[in-house]
Amino acid sequence: MSTAAASYRKQDGTVSVSADGKAVSWTSSSGAIPPLSIIIADIGNLQQTPATAAKASIKIVVPDSAPQPGSYTLQFTSSAARDDQQTITGLLRKWIEASKTQAAPTAAPTGTNGDGASAAIALAQTVAVAAKGSDDSYDDAKLLSDLELQMSLLNTNPSLRQRFDRALAEKPDTVSLGQFSNQFWTTRVHMLRSHVTEKTQATGTYNVLSVIKSKTVNGALTLSLTKEQIELLFRQHPIVQKAYNENVPQLNETDFWERFFHSRLMKKLKGERIREQDVLDPKLDKYLQYDEAIENSDQFIDSLPLFINIEGNEQNHSQKQGNRPDFTMTPSNYDKAPILRVLNRMSEKMLKDVPYSDGDRHAPVGVDEQTYKELQLRDLQRADDDNRVVLRVQDQSRFFSAGQSVQSSTSAATYTKRTPSQALAILHRDFEAISANQSKAAGVDLQTTLGINDDSSSDEENATSKIRKVGGKSSRSAATVQIVSAIKKRHLHDDDYSSSKAMPTSEQAKKLAISEAALDNLTITHNTTIEFLHYFWAVFHSGDSDRANEVAKLIETLDKSLDRIKAVADVAEADRSIQLDRYRKEVESYNQRSGKKRKFDPQNIKGGARAVNQVVEPLLRAINAARNQYAEALQEQMSQVSVGKGL
Amino acid sequence: MNTIDGSDRHVQTDSAPPPSLLAIVLDTNPHAWAHLSSSLSLSAALANILVFINAHLASGNANEVAVIASHSHKATFLYPTPTAPQPKARNGANGDVAMNGTDDSKGHHIAENPNKYRAFALVESAILKNFAKLLDETNESHLAATPTTLIGGAISLALTYISKSTMLHAPTAASAESMSLAALADSENAHVDRIPLTSRILIVSVSGDLANQYIPVMNSIFAAQRKKIPIDILKLAGDTVLLQQASDATGGVYMKPDRPEGLLQYLMMAFLPDATARASLVIPSAGGVDFRAACFCHRKVVDVGFVCSVCLSIFCSSNLPDNLCLTCGSYLSLRSALINPPALIPRKKKKKRKVGTDSATPGASTPAGSSTPMHP
Ligand SMILES: [Zn+2]
Ligand SMILES: [Zn+2]
Repeated sequence: MSTAAASYRKQDGTVSVSADGKAVSWTSSSGAIPPLSIIIADIGNLQQTPATAAKASIKIVVPDSAPQPGSYTLQFTSSAARDDQQTITGLLRKWIEASKTQAAPTAAPTGTNGDGASAAIALAQTVAVAAKGSDDSYDDAKLLSDLELQMSLLNTNPSLRQRFDRALAEKPDTVSLGQFSNQFWTTRVHMLRSHVTEKTQATGTYNVLSVIKSKTVNGALTLSLTKEQIELLFRQHPIVQKAYNENVPQLNETDFWERFFHSRLMKKLKGERIREQDVLDPKLDKYLQYDEAIENSDQFIDSLPLFINIEGNEQNHSQKQGNRPDFTMTPSNYDKAPILRVLNRMSEKMLKDVPYSDGDRHAPVGVDEQTYKELQLRDLQRADDDNRVVLRVQDQSRFFSAGQSVQSSTSAATYTKRTPSQALAILHRDFEAISANQSKAAGVDLQTTLGINDDSSSDEENATSKIRKVGGKSSRSAATVQIVSAIKKRHLHDDDYSSSKAMPTSEQAKKLAISEAALDNLTITHNTTIEFLHYFWAVFHSGDSDRANEVAKLIETLDKSLDRIKAVADVAEADRSIQLDRYRKEVESYNQRSGKKRKFDPQNIKGGARAVNQVVEPLLRAINAARNQYAEALQEQMSQVSVGKGL
Repeated sequence: MNTIDGSDRHVQTDSAPPPSLLAIVLDTNPHAWAHLSSSLSLSAALANILVFINAHLASGNANEVAVIASHSHKATFLYPTPTAPQPKARNGANGDVAMNGTDDSKGHHIAENPNKYRAFALVESAILKNFAKLLDETNESHLAATPTTLIGGAISLALTYISKSTMLHAPTAASAESMSLAALADSENAHVDRIPLTSRILIVSVSGDLANQYIPVMNSIFAAQRKKIPIDILKLAGDTVLLQQASDATGGVYMKPDRPEGLLQYLMMAFLPDATARASLVIPSAGGVDFRAACFCHRKVVDVGFVCSVCLSIFCSSNLPDNLCLTCGSYLSLRSALINPPALIPRKKKKKRKVGTDSATPGASTPAGSSTPMHP
């Protein structure tokens, strides 16, 4: 048992580490504060001030998952404070390590025997340590072999699960489960990687006061406060805990909270401005004058890793240059916008509970040599070496200079009918027509040049000349038809940026005039087929003749996809013919009843196989491309083999 | 897209849409127009475009227009008339120089037609005059040198003009002063006094063979995309590859008329609405976009190509001299998976050959789909 003189919350006392290494405790010498006792196995984070700091203190953080969460700062007070600090932290570190190595192997089997919580923490810690210890856990091969991770990802992602299950069910029998899942995940390593990252992260604490809101139930204002919220509130705002401790036996618990949430204290803690008309509360208002400094001493600002020293700005004295610092940066203005400070303090409080991941948590705080060097803005220094990658781009036009003549391309070939001088002459002659008009004081007579004459009917136009007139009625209406059809097409596809991306399938199916089930079926077939196409190309290009059978089987699977699409198309066509029959009867009965002749136009019923084939057209193209390449390559190799045998 | 909420709040009385700048890039490739002359002559097309410009100018008081000719040997402004880069006299003593400059550009012989709105007449005469000048400058050697047009340069000119105009419309950066304490507390409502200029580019294209300008055009497309300038394409003739991507990437309208004779109808129906109006319209689109790129070595449009991992140059084959990238000279190596010939016949068990090393990880180099060019 080793002990040292240390103060906790400005109260002198003694800190001691038990001989068995199970607990660290602190007792007040005056008895003003109840003694502390922390189970060493629960400790999540241990920090100490650097050897250069004026004060020698340590901070012990117990994570939220432990039975007694919180953070405790102890300052060593004896004349040999620095030595005490070293001894105590050394001991603590030793016992923390010991408790970890003990807990880790026993964690899984003895998860239920009472000590579950601490075992779980230890496990979580070892996971965290492993994650930051090396980047191996993100290694492709490791990710691909981690079945548990893959299962967990599938469980969190239903659509991926569906895709996986479908493709698994339809895979050719010769492809083993291992081969299949390996193939499936190689194209999705990034998803696995992000899942690992996701799993190693947990949500931190939050600003409780902003979450607690009163609700109106049956006309009465009620507050709902959970036990966890109260605990967090006490931790974030010790002053509330103090008020609670000193008032609750006298006051009813519910009364206390009700008073608190209407008090000025609450407003102050939230950073709201306190106004004259706010209710006075003799019991709680005295806490308004709480000393922020005490709270600050608990914050252990020293231990936050300094990434960039903002205080350095003070040396850059801006007042003399003419610009006042922003009002939020001058201390006298704190009361004008209390919210700014409250939010900052809140953030600090939340951050201090988070162990930083990019460094050893037990290492002495402060910036080490290497980090310091890294932080220097080297590229701004004059003598710095230029470490850019030099890219020597050659003039690209030289690639094109060859063959860049009139004869070279498709459209250029059509130009060769005229010599350049002829072409130029045509243009000159044509342009003279318009500029001749202009020289007459009136400018261009656009009306005649346009050639629009609304009196002429399109029939007349055709009769007089076979040439389509520029601006003629028929040209204009043809243009209108084209544009309107383009607009309709766009409307159907709806790939407009402004429209929401996720259109329900029912609506999509309606637009295509096929049943929802058919569309669902197509979507699934599409997904699995893409999966097998990936697989096919991977094996096809592997150049490994051991896998030749695999390729052949995959081609069969692709054939099956074609069959499946055809089946959907057949069903859709059958649906359509039923509708067509109904429509024909309708027309017939209408014609009989009214005696009029309504025309039966089968085009009126959309959908059917045509709609289906239109949707899957790109997929069909992709499948056929694979099949053709396969057939071609196969034939080539067959002929080579037979030649080889012939010799 | 252009409704910055600050303007709603500040300029409440003025509910008119923001001024709109239309930059027209007119492809004046003489080869192509001579070829088209039987169906749509250049003069008729010009007249149609003039009417379209008038419609654009008439639809907003502050609307502006710029017309750029993309010719076979150069790209030049048709409107506004380019002023020669003359050093201007610093002090007002020599006022003559400045006066002469303006006189020239406005043209002293503008036809005073009582039946024509003067603003229209100004644009019309400038365009015709400058085009006549351009045509006179053109000689046979220019035409013999190339079958196509300098579209890349013309788009760059349009973009720079738009950029300059946008700056002239920009706020004077004085509003920061008025930031009050209250405004700081809710910084969401921070506002800028700005009348935004909505700009768009319309390319009236008649030439094909644009693939050799793949890089400059692509760069312009990305610049336009960043500045949120839609590029509209009216493709009267020629192959489509590159420009279709331009309109798709920037959210512009693409039209390839079946009947070029109906030019005015196309212009009026499909291209007159500006970005503000388009927010509430379904704009016509051509449907499938050809996203294929042109290779840098033969300017062929390729389905599957190879991309330099350093400079992103595209090549149609992996057989580069010395395996060096033609553009940047980096050494490139292909994964064995891509050069291995597919082996499709199961081999006899006894003649064991060395198995490809990367067969253990299938799909490590998946050629995803058929249209993604790649080069690991
Ligand atoms: Zn090539
Ligand atoms: Zn390169």
